[in-house]
Amino acid sequence: MPRYLCLQRSLPPAPDSTPPSPAEMQEIYARFGAWKAQFEDNLVDLGGRLGEGRLVTEDGRSDGPFVEVKELVGGYMIVSADDLEGAIRIAAACPGVVGPRSGIEVVEIFVP
Amino acid sequence: MSEPDLRVLRAELCAVLVRRFGVARHAEVEDAVQEAVARMLARTPADPPDDAGAWLYRVASNHLLGEAATRQNRARILNLSTTDVPGPSPDDAPAHLAHELPDAALRMLFVCCDPTLPAPSQLALALSVLCGLTVDEVALRLFASKAHIYKRLARARTRLRTSGVELDALDDATLAQRLPAVHHVLYLMFTEGHLATQADRGVRRELCADALRLALLLTRHPTTDVPATSALVALFHLHASRLDARVDADGHVILLDEQDRAAWDRRLVAEGLRWLARSARGDALSRYHLEAEIAAEHSLAPSFSQTRWERLVTLYAQLDQVCPSPLHALNRALAIAEVDGPRAALVALDGQEPPAWLEVSHLWSAVLADLHRRAGDVTAAEAHRQRALASAPGESLRAVLARRLAATP
Repeated sequence: MPRYLCLQRSLPPAPDSTPPSPAEMQEIYARFGAWKAQFEDNLVDLGGRLGEGRLVTEDGRSDGPFVEVKELVGGYMIVSADDLEGAIRIAAACPGVVGPRSGIEVVEIFVP
Repeated sequence: MSEPDLRVLRAELCAVLVRRFGVARHAEVEDAVQEAVARMLARTPADPPDDAGAWLYRVASNHLLGEAATRQNRARILNLSTTDVPGPSPDDAPAHLAHELPDAALRMLFVCCDPTLPAPSQLALALSVLCGLTVDEVALRLFASKAHIYKRLARARTRLRTSGVELDALDDATLAQRLPAVHHVLYLMFTEGHLATQADRGVRRELCADALRLALLLTRHPTTDVPATSALVALFHLHASRLDARVDADGHVILLDEQDRAAWDRRLVAEGLRWLARSARGDALSRYHLEAEIAAEHSLAPSFSQTRWERLVTLYAQLDQVCPSPLHALNRALAIAEVDGPRAALVALDGQEPPAWLEVSHLWSAVLADLHRRAGDVTAAEAHRQRALASAPGESLRAVLARRLAATP
């Protein structure tokens, strides 16, 4: 199955855009609330997951931290999909990635 | 060129020159840039350089090259050699200086957040190197004495000089490892600008702009654009939306319940909410997520009394779990006071002794004075009021506290 590299891009602000209405602002805020809900009951286990991992290689060099690819939704991620359309569908489903001021670039990775 | 622009340019130029001449010569670079700026400002206003950045780069860089040549010359004379050592050729600014400036500043920030330095020293160093904060300002922000910060900075600068970590040697793994410390530094930088700690300066918004500028740089680098970075940027926008409403014509701070909410910048609120939505990914909740959420609650509340205070009580409790601090307990108590009254808030604080470092600050005393005053206990209120006024950093804040704590409930 081909693999696709998804790069997050910030888009320039639309000139003279009017600020969203209070209802629209609540809607944007609700997106955060939906994600945050998972943490309400188990706050104690949180945090520090990124940046803690380490791998010491043969030459003794400390290399890392290493994170799962699925966690790298920050700047980029790599997805497997049947075709470009499928990769775009996966990328677009990530909350907060495709929005009013951010977009995503999906590029197929060709392996020789 | 405005003073804040010049301050940013100076810090960025230092970073570019340190990148070129090496971190070991950091102090020399700072002096050279400082001298170049003084020369530029001494020129008549009718004769400003077309491109101040390139001009300053050229002057400072030639000065540094000249010093190197002087050293070489001395060595040549000592060796009694007749071999001619070529002097420095006039140095021009790199073609892409405008692009290189912010990148070098970001790298400098990561160099300052050296893991062999204790966290308070990283902070002090970054605030000093990247923001030009004085020892006094750093001390106030970090709740530490001036003598303590002076020693910290001296040690940190020695470490910077000898660490051997060059700006170009920072790889992705190092960036990721140092990112939490960088977040913390930017957070403090913003707070320094947001809360006036220097007497009668009111809101020092150029520091807020600095913190936002650097945080936005983090969002453009794949390694540093993590959810917590988005949350930090959201927090900055949401707080910045209230900067105008937060000071009166005389530069004094206006407290939240007295602010004109119509003066809040809705564009900045909207931008903050978008960044908050963008931070909603991954499986880690940072303190910045929670603080941005708290700021968003205030931004979206139609009025002080219509604020969802119960929600804020919960959020401050969560924040205290993720990142324990007596300040969060204080804020939670203030939210409790809005929900269940000042006595319930005092009960929540009962038995919580402020640690020594906080006792020197005015906040704990001010909150206790306010709560006792609202509960009708005049004697206790007065005692805490005196303590708060005595320890308030700066005349501006002292005036606000005096007015607020004198009001009848």
